[in-house]
Amino acid sequence: MTKHVPIGLIETPFQPRLDALSTAKSWTNWAGYTSAAMLDTVEFEYFAIRNQTTLFDISPMHKYRITGPDALRVVNRLVTRDAAKLRDGRVGYVLWCDEEGMVIDDGTLFRFSETDFRLCCQEPMYTWLLDTAWGFDAEITDESHNVAALSLQGPTSFSLLQDAGLQAVAEMKPFDWREIEPDLWVSRTGFTGDLGYEMWVPNGKALELWDRLWAKGGHWGLKAIGFDALNICRIEAGFIAAGFDFQPVHTAMRLGRGRSPLELGFGKMVDFTKGHFNGRRALLDQQKNGLRYHLRKIEIGGFKPADGALIYHKKKKEVGHVTSGVWSPTTKRNIALAEFKAPFGKGITDDLWAEIYVNEEGQWNKRLVPVTIEDKPFFINSRARATPPRPF
Amino acid sequence: MTTPTYDAIVIGAGHNGLAAAATLASKGKSVCVIEKNATAGGMARNTTLAIGIQAPEIAHLLYNLHPKVKKELGLGSARAPLEVRDLPAVSLSENGNHAVIRNGKAELADGGPHPEAAPFAELMRRLTLFAGLLGQLSTKSPPSLEGGLTSLDALTELAGLAKLGLDLKRMGKRDMREFLRVLLSNAYDLILDDLEDGPLAGALAADAVRGAYAGPRSLGTVFTLMYRLGQGGGAQLPLGGMGAVAAAFETAARAAGAEIRTGTGVARVRIENDRAAGVVLEDGTEISARAVLSNTGPMPAMMLAGAGHYDVEAVRRMRNQRCKGAAAKVNLVLSTAPVFTGLNPELMAGRLLIAPNATYVERAFNPAKYGELPKNPVIEAVIPSLTDPALARGGQHVLSVVVSSVPYALEGGWDEAAREELAAITLETLENYAPGISALVTECQVLSPACIEARTGAPGGHWHHAEMGVDQILTVRPANGMAHYRFGPEGYYLCGAGAHPGGDVTGLAGRNSALQLLKDRVL
Repeated sequence: MTKHVPIGLIETPFQPRLDALSTAKSWTNWAGYTSAAMLDTVEFEYFAIRNQTTLFDISPMHKYRITGPDALRVVNRLVTRDAAKLRDGRVGYVLWCDEEGMVIDDGTLFRFSETDFRLCCQEPMYTWLLDTAWGFDAEITDESHNVAALSLQGPTSFSLLQDAGLQAVAEMKPFDWREIEPDLWVSRTGFTGDLGYEMWVPNGKALELWDRLWAKGGHWGLKAIGFDALNICRIEAGFIAAGFDFQPVHTAMRLGRGRSPLELGFGKMVDFTKGHFNGRRALLDQQKNGLRYHLRKIEIGGFKPADGALIYHKKKKEVGHVTSGVWSPTTKRNIALAEFKAPFGKGITDDLWAEIYVNEEGQWNKRLVPVTIEDKPFFINSRARATPPRPF
Repeated sequence: MTTPTYDAIVIGAGHNGLAAAATLASKGKSVCVIEKNATAGGMARNTTLAIGIQAPEIAHLLYNLHPKVKKELGLGSARAPLEVRDLPAVSLSENGNHAVIRNGKAELADGGPHPEAAPFAELMRRLTLFAGLLGQLSTKSPPSLEGGLTSLDALTELAGLAKLGLDLKRMGKRDMREFLRVLLSNAYDLILDDLEDGPLAGALAADAVRGAYAGPRSLGTVFTLMYRLGQGGGAQLPLGGMGAVAAAFETAARAAGAEIRTGTGVARVRIENDRAAGVVLEDGTEISARAVLSNTGPMPAMMLAGAGHYDVEAVRRMRNQRCKGAAAKVNLVLSTAPVFTGLNPELMAGRLLIAPNATYVERAFNPAKYGELPKNPVIEAVIPSLTDPALARGGQHVLSVVVSSVPYALEGGWDEAAREELAAITLETLENYAPGISALVTECQVLSPACIEARTGAPGGHWHHAEMGVDQILTVRPANGMAHYRFGPEGYYLCGAGAHPGGDVTGLAGRNSALQLLKDRVL
């Protein structure tokens, strides 16, 4: 019998638990998996991330293993930063580009050793990795359907782990990555800008992990969450998301929709000195000839979320648009990520206005509200970096 | 940093490598050509088949040597002597009604007018007109729109394209329409629109696909036919064999001041800070240079530098390049001159074609698709010793045979038995036109596409280093984004047939590459 390809969405190993918890029944498609947009309400879930601790199922993430004598060379051929500088047992945020220097995707790179890496990302990347590894002594394995993962995020996450018998994570610094128990790898990473961990297990051990954490959760306010609440937090943390703040270039149908890491504000993540990597020559050209766009963090006047709003200079000339906008409940600011046509957003940063439409009981009004450029993440809290983490 | 030994190193002393070296050296650059074989010349060398018997090893005729290259390098002048003889083409017919093509005109073997002389002349007029148009693009880097209209370089290139457009219009509505209609179509239909499916049509069909992994019904074969007709379509026999051509290129390169080192190949190209810095030879010798030009096929050139110096997309394009060689060479020594039925001595010294009709040519290609040898192959044969008796002695003669549609990837692989079978098929086919020829054979050398690859490094043993399909010519030769001879790291250039404009002994790829390098101010 041939193996059937599943039709429709498939379930992650955690679906039995999520399904039982979901009162919202609000599911979304994440990389072909059923994933929760929310389980309860966005508000409850958001505040649980910032004040308690939360579990988010990140199993749909694509996961690839790059192994072999040339693994480091393959990784360095792929990504823009220098993976040689990443130590064993560390995690790095990475971006990778096509030959024109346009971002294919971003993700996290987990370094087991010089000969063994795991790459996690949004987009399917197997054939791209195979092509990248061609001519090198390295093997690419798609682990997407074998490894389950949970993201435990929030100020009480460390306390919960301690109660669950995983106090060994205490010494882990942000971006550290350890095998805490056999078959249980933990990284101090996340998409919230807060204290948090990501935990990686073989699919078969997924529910065991969930139950172990859930059993100790009550005291620490543990709540399962969906993507909508997480999305608010990631904007607060200033993290970009594929498909929102940039279009992964392989999925873009139209010419010119790709963006380079320089344009997305990741100039520091591009190491031109490490030797050739994909898109290097194009990025050098772009650096020389000038960027076309600037992706920036902005604060917008008022309190009406401005997702998708157009941005004007001197209230006249259209110079950009909001790519992710949200009201930030923690910082009490109207925040967003926005893309500007160069030189706006970098060279020209004043007299910028967002066009916002408000529906006031059936009547639409247009408002132009001031835009200010921000350099730092909107949400910064020392608890996110403290090692060992403080108990709450 | 020490000063590099040379301004430029050229990998491979095939005629294009020598043309590149001569071009650079004549501009005062110090150039060293590295050749792994003991002698220069690549596919245009002679081989000694027996004592006192010289045969053109692989290529045996000149079709397309470009006048510009000839003039710039001084080929045929006192500086680099080269003498050639124009040969008529004789398309053989089993019934003796051979068709002869001389200076683009059709006649019969007895000198009488060919019944299809008029439509043939009209077809040739159109094709050579079109070929001339396309030929304008062959002496420069292909036009690109990179950098838009803002750069002077792009504008200059566009001007060339604009001239092509203008010339196209100037041909008149009828010819322009016809050009656009046939450009991408197949040779078979085009030829049979005007000609009966006989030896005349067969000759054109065979010329359209010689060296190609294609039959005349394949798309894009009108283009390859035009390419063949780039210099009018006439074939020339160099006195002294093809080796004399190689020698002329070599002499021109040396006269210009280039150095040529033979006997040791290049193991790898050294890249430093994303720049070509020289080469390491197979014996470990390091030679530094400010630029490196590779006359190898595109993929081998890439591997010499290392795939890691290329973007993933470029590597993917190189991996998927079509370069299945489909021409084999059979060199025979005959104890005495053969007799081809119905041919006078003058025609016997001509370019003999076994392509009795276009359908035959198409059918001959079919087995290649399945990795099999053709049972009734298309053949281009020439007896150079009839024109140039110095090539043989004692009344012996050399029969040089190009057998088309012989697959590189033969089912079961190329071994001695396969080569013997190919020799037998070749002789069997020749017997139909020259009864008794087999009995005259005293020596036989068979070079399969695999042998040709081993001897010259041409990927797949391909005549053109890469198939001349519409997806691999002009602005996409060797591949999208690489058509300007620049090949990855700065100062690394492709200068062989895998680059624009393509194969045959034209000298253009090497010359154009050298000129592009100078224009890029790499040196």
